[in-house]
Amino acid sequence: MDEFQTGEETAFVVDEVSTIIKESVEGAIGGNAYQHSRVNQWTTNVVEQSLSQLSKLGKPFKYIVTCVIMQKNGAGLQTASSCFWDNTTDGSCTVRWGNKSMYCIVSVFGLAI
Amino acid sequence: MEEFSGEEGSFNSEEASNSVKECIQSIIGEESYRQDTVNQWTAKIVEQALTLMVKQTKSYKYIVSCAVMQKSGAGLHTANSCYWDTVTDGSCTVKWENRTMYCVVSVFAVALTP
Repeated sequence: MDEFQTGEETAFVVDEVSTIIKESVEGAIGGNAYQHSRVNQWTTNVVEQSLSQLSKLGKPFKYIVTCVIMQKNGAGLQTASSCFWDNTTDGSCTVRWGNKSMYCIVSVFGLAI
Repeated sequence: MEEFSGEEGSFNSEEASNSVKECIQSIIGEESYRQDTVNQWTAKIVEQALTLMVKQTKSYKYIVSCAVMQKSGAGLHTANSCYWDTVTDGSCTVKWENRTMYCVVSVFAVALTP
């Protein structure tokens, strides 16, 4: 089995990914109030933009991006995830964002090829 | 009718979906939403679902994510996108609800390179 060098170029760097996600979310829904008719398009935009920026990093990873947008009206929301992978090479990062009318939670999972 | 392209060649999303539904039902089937226990429920769901997936076949890496939301009229939207090998990798999402809450579980299976 091939061994990748776990240097900067081939590791899952949480800060770098986190920045990419924050920018994607801001770009897609920043400044908007929750609208039922548009939220479908927003979640799609967030995941597509995030994924496209991540793939541009050119690292040997497969990526999974999930996005949840919830209207703020007092309801409780709990999310959890569990992963069966290689602890030395794989990683994840979750970004929580919110404005006055909605929450947006984006998770990225990076799996080394 | 299902087509199997080899035992470890593809991810069987229907079977995974059924296993996950049973798993959710057994953990929160009879429960009402409670803020103080919901974190235990989501943790149990993801752990049990992951264990079930790994038992079926070990030649995949798995990610299981679960969201439980109280029913109070708020809108909730989720989306996933994946950058992977579309031949070998796959996912399934299960949406479940009872009188007081919604539960959405997604399973992603990424093939391990031999």
